[in-house]
Amino acid sequence: MTTRKKVPAYCYQCVAGPDLMKIEVEDGVAVRLESNYDACGTHPGGGRVCVKAYGLIQKTYNPDRVQQPMKRTNPKKGREHDPGFVPITWDEALDMVAGKLKEIRDKGILDEQGYPRLASTFGGGGTATQYLGTFPAFMSAWGAIDQGFGSGQGVKCYHSEHLYGELWHRAFIVSPDTPYCNYVINCGNNVEASGGVVGVWREADARVRGMKRVQVEPHLSVTGAVSAEWIPIKPKTDAAFLYGILHRILHERDWREVCDVPFITNDSNSPYLVGPNGYFLRDRKTKKPLIWDLGDNEAKPFDAKIKEPALTGTFEAAGIEEGPDDQVWTHKKATVRPAFQALLDHMKPFTPEWAEGECEVPAERIRSVADEYLAHACVGETIEIEGVTLPFRPVAVMLGKGVNNGWGGYQTCWARTLLAVLVGALEVPGGTLGTAVRLNRPADSRHKSVAPMRDGFMDYPFNETTKQGWQSKPHIRNAYRTLVPLAANSPWSAALGPAHLPWLFQKKLPNNWPKQTKPEMWICYRTNPAISSWDAPEVAKRVAEFPFTVAFAYTHDETNHMADVLLPEATDLESLQLMRLGTTKYTEQFWKHEGWAIRQPAGDKTVDCRDMTDIATELADRLGLLEEYNAAINRGAAGMRLTGEGFDYSLDVTKAHGLEDIWDAVAKAASHDLSDGEEVHGIDWFKEHGFMLKPYSQLEWYLYPTLKKQGLRFEMPYQERILRHGSQLAERLHEVGIEWWDKQLEEYEALPSYKPFPEIWINYAKEVGRDPAEFPFWAVTSRSMQYAWGANVGIPMINEVAQNISGHKGVIINRTAAGKLGLAEGDPVVIESVAGVTKGYAVLREGIRPDTVLMIGQFDHWVTPFAKDLNLPSLNTVSSMSLSLTDSTGSGADLARVSIRKGEGPRRAA
Amino acid sequence: MTERWGMVIDLNRCVGCQTCTAACKHHNDTAPGVQWRRVLDIERGTFPDVQRVFLVVGCQHCAEPPCVPVCPTGATKQRADGLVTMDYDTCLGCGYCAVACPYQARTIAHEKEWYYGQETVQEKHVAHDDRVGVAQKCNFCEDKLDDAKARGLTPGVDLEVTPACSASCIAQAIHFGDFNDSESNVSQLIRNNANFQMHEELGTDPQIRYVYEAAGIAGRDDEDPEGEAEGPLSGELQTLWDYRAAMNFTLGGFGSGFAVIAYLMHLLGALPETTLTYFYAAAAAIMGVGLFFVFLEIARKLRFALVILRPQSSWMTREVYAVAVFFPAVLADLIWPQGALHLVVALSAAGFLYSQGRILQAGTGIPAWRVPAMPQMLVATGLFEGVALAALAMALFPADAPFTAWVPAAGLVLAVLNAALWWRYRGAARARGIGPQARRELARIGPALHLVGHALPIGLFLVAFIADGAAPWLGLGLGIGGAAALVGGALWKFTVITRASYSQGFALPRMPQRGSGARAAPVRFEAP
Repeated sequence: MTTRKKVPAYCYQCVAGPDLMKIEVEDGVAVRLESNYDACGTHPGGGRVCVKAYGLIQKTYNPDRVQQPMKRTNPKKGREHDPGFVPITWDEALDMVAGKLKEIRDKGILDEQGYPRLASTFGGGGTATQYLGTFPAFMSAWGAIDQGFGSGQGVKCYHSEHLYGELWHRAFIVSPDTPYCNYVINCGNNVEASGGVVGVWREADARVRGMKRVQVEPHLSVTGAVSAEWIPIKPKTDAAFLYGILHRILHERDWREVCDVPFITNDSNSPYLVGPNGYFLRDRKTKKPLIWDLGDNEAKPFDAKIKEPALTGTFEAAGIEEGPDDQVWTHKKATVRPAFQALLDHMKPFTPEWAEGECEVPAERIRSVADEYLAHACVGETIEIEGVTLPFRPVAVMLGKGVNNGWGGYQTCWARTLLAVLVGALEVPGGTLGTAVRLNRPADSRHKSVAPMRDGFMDYPFNETTKQGWQSKPHIRNAYRTLVPLAANSPWSAALGPAHLPWLFQKKLPNNWPKQTKPEMWICYRTNPAISSWDAPEVAKRVAEFPFTVAFAYTHDETNHMADVLLPEATDLESLQLMRLGTTKYTEQFWKHEGWAIRQPAGDKTVDCRDMTDIATELADRLGLLEEYNAAINRGAAGMRLTGEGFDYSLDVTKAHGLEDIWDAVAKAASHDLSDGEEVHGIDWFKEHGFMLKPYSQLEWYLYPTLKKQGLRFEMPYQERILRHGSQLAERLHEVGIEWWDKQLEEYEALPSYKPFPEIWINYAKEVGRDPAEFPFWAVTSRSMQYAWGANVGIPMINEVAQNISGHKGVIINRTAAGKLGLAEGDPVVIESVAGVTKGYAVLREGIRPDTVLMIGQFDHWVTPFAKDLNLPSLNTVSSMSLSLTDSTGSGADLARVSIRKGEGPRRAA
Repeated sequence: MTERWGMVIDLNRCVGCQTCTAACKHHNDTAPGVQWRRVLDIERGTFPDVQRVFLVVGCQHCAEPPCVPVCPTGATKQRADGLVTMDYDTCLGCGYCAVACPYQARTIAHEKEWYYGQETVQEKHVAHDDRVGVAQKCNFCEDKLDDAKARGLTPGVDLEVTPACSASCIAQAIHFGDFNDSESNVSQLIRNNANFQMHEELGTDPQIRYVYEAAGIAGRDDEDPEGEAEGPLSGELQTLWDYRAAMNFTLGGFGSGFAVIAYLMHLLGALPETTLTYFYAAAAAIMGVGLFFVFLEIARKLRFALVILRPQSSWMTREVYAVAVFFPAVLADLIWPQGALHLVVALSAAGFLYSQGRILQAGTGIPAWRVPAMPQMLVATGLFEGVALAALAMALFPADAPFTAWVPAAGLVLAVLNAALWWRYRGAARARGIGPQARRELARIGPALHLVGHALPIGLFLVAFIADGAAPWLGLGLGIGGAAALVGGALWKFTVITRASYSQGFALPRMPQRGSGARAAPVRFEAP
């Protein structure tokens, strides 16, 4: 007789989750999958899962999976060398790995350069953590690990936004308040493809409600398709477009009439006086920044009683300026101006006509977008949320990855946030919100992370740039603490540093930089940098240089091709874990609930794989780290502290615990914590019920009231701290003879100036001895919802359904431009940049600029089964990774200058 | 009142994510490449004025489904609640329903296939061997609807009994419900929102309605034909009815037309009875070859006999009935030649020929086939081909088939008639909705068809008629004229059936207007 059951689990294949699902299991085989409709009233995306989740069944039963642990027999590593993997037992595999780890431990976990001998790279955006089981506890037990080798972040994430967003409004990710927003200027954010189930759900509701979105991007994306208007902007000129809008508002409209003047005055640093050296004019005694009171005609500390704060004009005032490195200028009578006046002066040249020259958007269109934005801003209106009256400002600006990363990222992020500030739309209903903190602490609450600093802003954990505090010798190879003050120093910072630098420096060390050693062991999990990084072929070469690589391996792939040991871990539908649900996170996951969900084995295993928790426990045991490991779990390394107010479910630290026991303890602690002890559930309850929730106030979505409560202002528009850190960092680096970061240091400006950013990529050809004229096209990329994050490129069903969407068959080229090149639909094409060559087939469309081509997703696989036969091109093969394409936050941008020509061979079959 | 299940698809919501496509594949265990539900990515306009729309398609469960009456076995049925269903066990895989469907909703997977090239343990569990070689399509998750009935749940409201595509949709773009219930979600949606039915003009009354926010840019007729030549709106070349089907229409026309003409010649006293029965035998042989080819086209050959089950509506069944009379009658007439049998043969041949015309015409999914004149064209061509074969026979066997002026005379009339019908068919093609690719194919053969198939026979038949059998060499001209007419007939039938047979394509008569912003009441918006 057939036995049937439905097993609840979560899908967190992309950062836009988690979403909840049920797996239908017949006789121990996971046969089908569907949304967990039990959650349709609580999950903000109606309890649905997206297309990617449906790939998990095929993922599980893929015959190309690594069937058991393997070891390399060919000592030569590289794309061209067959690794000669041969099967070994788990015992042998764990002996090999533990043996190597022991050897490293015996030598000391840091090497002679002070770098961790152990390095690891995990899949993006913290998604891996929700599949890693208790492996983080093992890492914690181990000690220092270099987690700074990137797999594509810096171009593939919202990098600049992560850093500036956390600084300005505790917004690791920035999001419109979609359920209330009425007008969105969207510069290239492909939210309909990358915002996950909740993004699609909420945006669709908003569209039907009448929200208008103007999509500004070179290619008409899925998101552009469902927007009211498409503005085909020239790549990398979004800052000019936004500056043109700012000019329109500040200089062509009467800003006193159309902007939220009380917000600008009381909730931003606009009235702070700026001294002649560009730093705030401060009170000599209290060191507090000063504001000019027009009522009393004198400068007063910002928190004094001020009758009429001046926003414009110039004044003569006394005070001090605190410059870099304790430099103080004392002014008896200096000419000073409010930051807002500085802003007005700064924005003066950026007329819509000027912007048109840069971004190729007609000046009149820029004006109309600016005017529509103002018209929709509802300045002065309020809304009641859960009985509390809050300002209502239903306008927002969204930024895409290529827009906010790399050069120009500071400008666009600043302009976007400033646009919110001008109409009082920051962190209020309808406006621009943050969703989570990753750099500030505590990690579980944006609100708790709000703490005052003396200037009346939220404090921010900048990496030190003072003489005493600066970390001159990097502690990990990407040197985020040394080079990027904004990267802070949280567990996430390593991944958010300039994570491509280790790959660059491993090839060629820049001047006066500490020697970069290779990690003695590198662990990679749910990531494939040899294909996913920018300039991926180059990264593949560096990976091949690593002496010992341990890869958790689903199938053979381009990165584990260089591995020494392959460990097939139990994948999504085979392993056990609990994950926190709810609150606010990623772009659109704004919940009115919080709680926990389970992921559990659905069917019987068909390959000799092991749960990550079991692997972690086993390694800890073999290395004699059990106590530290269990202690880490007890502290919360598995997602939940096992002890807390009124409960103690902690594990006996001396024993090796089984998978079920560990998660049973986590389940009890989590449910106890969630219900204040009312409802304590073990893991079996979660296995049956899937998830547990309690209400979460919508008021938590908005940070503005918390700032008001603490009497704080947003640190906008004037960036005194950034200016100071930049000056200090320049001093530090120059002191040790480092000049190769000078371009990046120029970016530390109090009010960001505009540069013709496209030139940086156009002229990069010269740097490598080529003529920019050889590469007349922009190559950009766009998110494929079907593929993104899922590690599902080897899943044929996903490929099949993705083909229904344009661009999954090749490179998208403007039809007219293609005609000029003699290219017809399906013709083979060769796309070449200074970095490399990628090949594919022409897909002709009208929805793309004639000077731009687009490659969806990241393909160009050369060993991953199935995927390698797709013959799809990849931007990652032609994008360059270099210092000159790296901005001060350590990010680049996902684009390249390329040439296109007809390739050899037949047309792609229809 | 019985339910009338249907869907309302909100074009304003759909983002083309294919979650419905995948969810459908899961729930219905469809094989590689088979998508009962899918979402198209459609682009209209030219840079920079471009619209991109995602269009959910699949079986529309038409109130007047063109696929149901054509099915010769009754495998495709319509339930009282409107569901158009498939019985895999009685389907032949003839593909008739697929060419009759104007929504490209039907698929025939001829081979068993697996996603990874080899069967996985999971695929073993969800295999449906009964679906190989038969037509398949969306059934609105029939099992869920029946389950709902049994459990007293409401499809479209209770998600577990709602069709998988609708329940899974992450944009709430696919709504399912009962159109007969005026208070159902779908009834309210169409009452309150402007909407259209796809290919409404075909009279199929599809039960999927598309909601759009406001009238946008107009449909296909306004677009430039070059852009129209590619993409889902312009249709795809059908491949289910290939040269094998064309052979049946060609040789079937030859044979049946020949039998009818032979009988008429006999009636006029121009053909001896013995020759008539030989001609009948030859006609049967020619038709037999054609039928053999079409038999090869059938995927489930062993179920061939089930073809007799739908005489009440399917012209394919009726064609088989004509065959069932024709062949025994020809055989009997050879053995016991007599006037009644002569007549039965001629009538069944005429019935066969007419059935062929109606068969093609009922291919509603193919604009080049479904024209009103299609039966006339096929009948006129069949008769012309019959005359041509008679002319050929007179040229080859003057002893058995002595010259009669009736033949070139009839040939002249039929050649002119055929030329005129073709002329009208081509001329009205665009107005009849025949797309640009198909029109191009038709235009391509125009000169050759008129020259070889019409002008040459007219010239040679005219000479033969005027000469009235005066010289033996005139028989040669008659033969060449006949052969040319056959070539012409074969040329257009092969072209129309295999090369101009582009499917209807999808339609998007109204584009959504996304996010009007009207609700935001921009009272403060004054252009300074």
